[in-house]
Amino acid sequence: MSVDRATVRRGVTDALPLFVPAVPFALVIGLAIVEADINLFSGWSGSWLIFGGAAQLTLVSLLGSGAAVLAAITAALVVNARHLMYSAAMAPVFQKQPSWFRWVGPYVLIDQMFALTVIEADRDPDFFRTYYLAAGATFWTLWQITTALGIAIGPVVPEEWNLGFAVPLLFIGLLVLGVDKSSKLVAALSGAGVTYLFANLPNRTSLLVGALAGIVIGTVIERLRP
Amino acid sequence: MIAFLATVAVGVGTYLSRSIFILALAKKKIPNSVLVALQFVAPAVLGSLIIALLIDESGSVAIGIPEVAALAVGGAVTYKTRNHILTLVVGMTVYWVIRALA
Repeated sequence: MSVDRATVRRGVTDALPLFVPAVPFALVIGLAIVEADINLFSGWSGSWLIFGGAAQLTLVSLLGSGAAVLAAITAALVVNARHLMYSAAMAPVFQKQPSWFRWVGPYVLIDQMFALTVIEADRDPDFFRTYYLAAGATFWTLWQITTALGIAIGPVVPEEWNLGFAVPLLFIGLLVLGVDKSSKLVAALSGAGVTYLFANLPNRTSLLVGALAGIVIGTVIERLRP
Repeated sequence: MIAFLATVAVGVGTYLSRSIFILALAKKKIPNSVLVALQFVAPAVLGSLIIALLIDESGSVAIGIPEVAALAVGGAVTYKTRNHILTLVVGMTVYWVIRALA
């Protein structure tokens, strides 16, 4: 397989700004691992065994607070349940890919990867694969390093910066790039609205309710269109 | 050891949730009605995520003038330039400045 350097460079440069808001999050996870009083390697191993910050933080904090192990595992998996939707949405795209990539690719299918690569879904399969792997390897490598740093040095990014806001900020850009018809706009707005209404559900399950509502409403509108 | 095993369990479950449909539907013809629905996953999830990420510990959505202004500017910058680094710099600057003024 010939690797197109320009595509690799684009994958890396597109991934970098999306990783910036993950830095304070990774540092917080590192600190949570230290405070949870569990084996440091076990805590950090979630960075590559799970490769999903929200689930890793949920698991570590619950284990640290003395919750039942099964309850901690279940809560972490509920937090990650939205990945089922990413898997379904990406299935048609991955059909055009070699079998090894269908096994490797999903391992790095985090929120940022989905948001970044779903808008490239119609590109040539070779371009898509190279771009996906470059962005995925970037996220993965930086995540391993920053979560380890978090264990070693704790959170050094001042909390007042509220750097976490950069995630919705970058996601709205990716959302805008992907909305090419009114039914998708309605899906996005109804997803946001329903999530807002159910905001106080535990474990951020409002996200699942909102996303499902958006998908259903978008589909119905698409069907009703002449 | 328990912590490590629990992490393995969550890791396996997470990988399954990310891979299950990609692997199960690899060689199957996906019905057109399903494809119609799948195109709404990205906008619906992103719209929901943007709100879900602003939910604070008390369960309410922390969205005020700084957030709305920065999201509007950020969306416009990405749309015009497709440059995510520029979006990050401009959007966060708008967010910090308005928050400092408020």
